[in-house]
Amino acid sequence: MSNNYGSKFLSWIKSAAGLSIVVTIVVAVVASIASGPYLLVNTVVTGGMLALVATGLTLMLGVLNIPMFAHGEFFMIGSLAAFYVFTPISNYTNENPDSIIVVFGPLIAMAASTIIGAISGIIAEKLVFGPLRRRSTDDWVMNSFLLTVGLSVLLINLHQLVFGADFKGIVGYWSGMPISIYDVFISRDRVMAFMIAAVIVVLFWFFMTYTRTGMAIRAVSQDITGAQIVGIDIEKIVLLTISLACALSAVAGGSLLFMYPSYPTVGLEPLYMAWFVVILSGLGNVLGAVAGAFIVALLKVITVEYIGAGWDFVIPSALIMFILIFKPSGIFGSDVRGALDK
Amino acid sequence: MLLEVKNLDAGYGYLQILRSVSLNIDKGEYVCIIGPNGAGKSTTMKSIIGLIAPMGGTVVFNGEDITGMSASQITTKGISFVSEEMNLFVNMSVQENLYMGAYTIKDKKIQKNRLDFVFSLFPRLAERKAQLAGTMSGGERKMLAIGRGMMSDPKLLLVDEPSFGLAPQLVANVFESLDVLKSQGVTILLVEQNVTKTLAVTDRGYILENGKIGLKGKSRDLADNPHVRKVFLGV
Repeated sequence: MSNNYGSKFLSWIKSAAGLSIVVTIVVAVVASIASGPYLLVNTVVTGGMLALVATGLTLMLGVLNIPMFAHGEFFMIGSLAAFYVFTPISNYTNENPDSIIVVFGPLIAMAASTIIGAISGIIAEKLVFGPLRRRSTDDWVMNSFLLTVGLSVLLINLHQLVFGADFKGIVGYWSGMPISIYDVFISRDRVMAFMIAAVIVVLFWFFMTYTRTGMAIRAVSQDITGAQIVGIDIEKIVLLTISLACALSAVAGGSLLFMYPSYPTVGLEPLYMAWFVVILSGLGNVLGAVAGAFIVALLKVITVEYIGAGWDFVIPSALIMFILIFKPSGIFGSDVRGALDK
Repeated sequence: MLLEVKNLDAGYGYLQILRSVSLNIDKGEYVCIIGPNGAGKSTTMKSIIGLIAPMGGTVVFNGEDITGMSASQITTKGISFVSEEMNLFVNMSVQENLYMGAYTIKDKKIQKNRLDFVFSLFPRLAERKAQLAGTMSGGERKMLAIGRGMMSDPKLLLVDEPSFGLAPQLVANVFESLDVLKSQGVTILLVEQNVTKTLAVTDRGYILENGKIGLKGKSRDLADNPHVRKVFLGV
């Protein structure tokens, strides 16, 4: 029995997915030993948040067949919502430092950005994607792609028009001494940001794997006709998927507000990074997207550390191109052809 | 009468394929639709299940008018469709595929009973319940598609070209499993290219030619009909 698991484990390590995860972990550990553990911390925090944005993107692509280029704007909406909810909370806690809101205030802000993200996703479906779905007979992918680019431009400029182009940031969510683990000091905000991302990713994975609705979402992504003939209401699943995907992106924006202040184009960087992740890990693969997020985060952190801050888009994208030459379906692309490979 | 299709017109876009097709099926019957390629057999099936909105005519199931309902609503009424392309969820395991077939059943206990029933029907699926549907052979996939169709405990099972692309031995297996279902009291509407075999096992048949019902009657009589023998059996 153990031998069986052993050989299975070995063959997994030898596969592209296993190999890339092992290499990532080794590189992360070596780099942290060489230059300091903050590299590992940065990778984990960036990776966790990137995982949220990239899973949302994967959902949009896998279930709805929309190449979403407005996903960063939902990140922006999330950060904006968190800013406007957290500012009064932080004014209140400055006057009442003993209040329980000091601990829970930031969570309220993040919950608000999640809810507003989900609602704006539903609005986008009702106003933009739904009407297109009813009218578009062919070329759906191209049409929806153009539509998302337009939506992105619209939302960026709406932000600028209504809220102004200045940086709307906060000093930090949780004040107080940084937490120290083995003499490494990590700010409370970073620890919390990672924990929130981890909890959401795990919950999301359970939801997709074991619940009836999660399975229905996967079923729609794999065969839409098959989903219809087993009795799945496609419209409901579409609405749920969009709100879920947008909420994931918005909660990332909300919980990273201490790192990325809200401004009109704040979403573009996470958007591009998330696209790197999705392309690298194979289109429409949720678990692969989580692993891919950490790989891309590590690439970015190491590039900034050893080569220079201006190169953090160049090196990851060059490496992704290199990998795609050898494995065009992405590192975690499955052997079974999915709906998107058609 | 379980299913009554009256003067059904259907097609794709501006292209009309079915012209005033009428057919009916009683409870417990095993009925087939046969006809040459492009006659509209699959189109008939798809408009009954609601994957295509009919242009005209009515479909009444179990006394209820289901014309123009969506496929997911019609499935909930108790019709199951096993399509020619099977439309399996390729990245899900056999067991997950079967559970998705019982999507309209919310009771976990009934779901489990249905799963046991399908496994007793196709022991092969029970052996492979953890395997991904996309990695199975053609015959096994066909079994899985029929099994998934049976999971919702349908009153009427629509089966579209189950022998398509299968080796002769597997075709025999598929027909056997449909026989078992029939003996369990399931009403079946079968669309097939394999005319000899189909007319041998079914009770009644409809011949569809150029989008119209050409002939209808007992399968035994159809098999003896000179027109059918000439066109389909080449005798």
